[in-house]
Amino acid sequence: MRLTRRQRLAGVAMVVVGGLTLAACGSDSDGGSAGGSDAVITVYGTNPQNPMIPTATNEVGGGDPIQNLYAGLVAYNADGSVVNEVADSIDSKDSINWTVKLKDGWKFTDGSPVTAQSFVRAWNYGANPANKQLNNYFFYPIEGTDDVGNTTDGAKEMSGLKVVDDKTFTIKLKSAESDFPLRLGYSAYFPVPDSAFDSSGKITKEYGDHPIGNGPYMLTKKGWEKAKQIAMVPNPDYKGAHKPKNGGLTFKFFNSTDSAYSAVQSGELDVLDQVPPSALTTFETDGDVKAYNEPGSSFSSITIPERLPHFKGEEGNLRRAAISQAINRKEITEKIFNGARTPAKDFTSPVLDGWTDSVPGNEVLNFDAAKAKDLWAQADKIAKWDGKFQLAYNNDGAGNKEFSEAVANQIKNTLGIDASAKVYATFDELRKDVTDRTIKTAFRTGWQADYPSMLNYLGPIYATGAGSNDGDYSNKQFDKLVSEASAAQGDARYKLITEAQTLLLKDLPALPLWYQNATAVTGQDVKGFVFTWQQKPQYYALTK
Amino acid sequence: MWWYIGKRLLQTIPVILGATFIIWALVFLRPGDPILGLFGDKPASPAVKAAIEHQYHLDENFFVQWLYFLKGIFTFDLGDDFRGQAISTQLQNAFPVTVTLALMALVFEAIFGVVLGTIAGLRRNGWFDSTMLVATLIMLAIPIFVIGFVFQLFFGVKLGWAAVTVGGDWTVSKLILPAVVLGIVDLAYTLRLTRTSVAENLSADHVRTARAKGLSPGLVVRNHVLRNSLIPVTTHLGVNVGGLMAGAVITEGIFNVPGVGNLAFRSIQQGQSTTVVSVVTVMVLVYVLMSLLVDLLYAVLDPRIRYA
Repeated sequence: MRLTRRQRLAGVAMVVVGGLTLAACGSDSDGGSAGGSDAVITVYGTNPQNPMIPTATNEVGGGDPIQNLYAGLVAYNADGSVVNEVADSIDSKDSINWTVKLKDGWKFTDGSPVTAQSFVRAWNYGANPANKQLNNYFFYPIEGTDDVGNTTDGAKEMSGLKVVDDKTFTIKLKSAESDFPLRLGYSAYFPVPDSAFDSSGKITKEYGDHPIGNGPYMLTKKGWEKAKQIAMVPNPDYKGAHKPKNGGLTFKFFNSTDSAYSAVQSGELDVLDQVPPSALTTFETDGDVKAYNEPGSSFSSITIPERLPHFKGEEGNLRRAAISQAINRKEITEKIFNGARTPAKDFTSPVLDGWTDSVPGNEVLNFDAAKAKDLWAQADKIAKWDGKFQLAYNNDGAGNKEFSEAVANQIKNTLGIDASAKVYATFDELRKDVTDRTIKTAFRTGWQADYPSMLNYLGPIYATGAGSNDGDYSNKQFDKLVSEASAAQGDARYKLITEAQTLLLKDLPALPLWYQNATAVTGQDVKGFVFTWQQKPQYYALTK
Repeated sequence: MWWYIGKRLLQTIPVILGATFIIWALVFLRPGDPILGLFGDKPASPAVKAAIEHQYHLDENFFVQWLYFLKGIFTFDLGDDFRGQAISTQLQNAFPVTVTLALMALVFEAIFGVVLGTIAGLRRNGWFDSTMLVATLIMLAIPIFVIGFVFQLFFGVKLGWAAVTVGGDWTVSKLILPAVVLGIVDLAYTLRLTRTSVAENLSADHVRTARAKGLSPGLVVRNHVLRNSLIPVTTHLGVNVGGLMAGAVITEGIFNVPGVGNLAFRSIQQGQSTTVVSVVTVMVLVYVLMSLLVDLLYAVLDPRIRYA
């Protein structure tokens, strides 16, 4: 078949048009959201990975917006103190049976009232494994759940929750916990309106895309625009402690904190709550931005499981203490993290009530080469060291490679043993080996508390059989102290916590490394920036 | 020719089957457990984990999983990723911006590459040619992330001429700077290729004949030199579109373009096999379509080539 030039061009044009239709689908352009009288603040965000349901969201992309869209029974102030929000009172005589009474007049933004049922139904939904909610773990203290927070024996509801009337419900715990109300400001405990559920009792996809809450803010009509932003405006019916001072929030999504930092420099973005490693040396002297840097609530450590050869019993304790004192924490926080970490003094975080830098026994966290060599030699008398020491880290977190190699080098140089860092490409690869207990090396661990209590840094990680006890540490005395502290109040409680920490410093189930600092930059015209205890901006207080 | 186009399009089917299978296998072989990763550093509930694995057929064997995916492709229902977000929405959000970015980069490199390359080729070994040689060597030598950050800081933050980041509400004007950065390395390559090709054709027999016939120099260059010189350049540019789209990860990261590169990068990191393979499938389509387009363009450029 012979073709003229024109026919050939037509063929080319056809293919081009076909290709362009690919490009044409779904590009809309519309910027800006309606603001009130005050300015709308744009803040750094990432596209939520899960549906925006309180019990389904466990990462910051969805978590930060949800914190602003919902109000729980209690709310956290910036200093870590707790105020009643929707709850009028949360009382208990024995720290096991709790009665929650709700305030009058709270409404969801669809107009329906916030009732006891709104909480109980949402929590039961989260705890039922059939609903595949990632936050089910948070319900483990409540009776009727197993160790990881699933309702037991296929039940749809937790036996520990009872609705008394519209404004009252009761919670029965598995064991006494005096700080249980502190937990209730966490997003997993937020209420969900009845309109969220379909006829079969599942929370609908539409709700996950456009959640209806009772918090300081509510979504605009467009709300969550996938891969672009989440826009919210103040909720006029909100009655709580964190009344917005700005005209709304827009979470703009970024691929990387690097590009977000440039956006703050140029004024395209108002607030970035996480300074990228590339800017850590310069952000505090950068004239284009306002900088914030203070110790935060996230704790980093190295876990050396007892099942590793040479790390059992007396020998193991000596070796752990030796390794701990072979690490020069100060040098690493300064040289590698440019001061964005603070060397650890205990197993918790300095932002919490009751924290002290003088837990007895914490000199084991100081660098002391001579002491380290001596301890290592003592351990060698019990059994001669052979093999090598490896520290596993995941390479998808910024700074992990650098600090792991530095720690390994310090151990190698101080103790004169073969020590190296072992790379895992991603976080989930490392977690898999840790969870399966197939990991044959020491590994990096971290903890960010779910509620502002020192016990949240101890019980879930080091208590016998606890869910995040990756090193399978077990010490009856420690368990006893933690459960006593859970039931105690005031100074008695802090004393018990200090005693428990002293035990940990002796056994070193994990070697505390440092507290991660909260770092942030804002535009020059942004006012009212404060960190919460969760290292997040106090969003409602931001103004321009 | 229509039969030829039809035949070529039919050939895409085995290509897609093969490509998805290989990619599927690679993601499957990736160590780690994406479902465990969903739980972050909180303990994972075995019951919830099993329920999620069942929902996404991860409890089936590898081959059955792949068949489920194929079923999704052929019924135009790609389903959800492991976190319950629709894959089709993610693709719809990511592809338009990346396609636009890649085409803009292509136009940039094609126009500047061919024009400058032709001038350099016509004035071989002159001062312009030498300048271009040095300039292209510099472009090829500097890594793209350096160019990206420097351009962003200089034109965006300091001078304020261009948007620093693109974001979800992207427009063509915001994409100009990223497109220039993305196209700059290939621009150097296109320029070198055109220059060499033009220089070679200038001494070809048919050009000498054309000159001997007394045709004006402009006509000789347009009709006899350039047309022949463009054949290798067209191949390079056509194949490059796919490369520009897939290779945009770094540029997209620097300028915050919510495109395919980042979608793929994130999905691979999280082991979201269905998303990864969906992205790859569309990319394969783009590659196949582009190579078809290039082959058809040959026929326009060179009358001796015919398809039947």
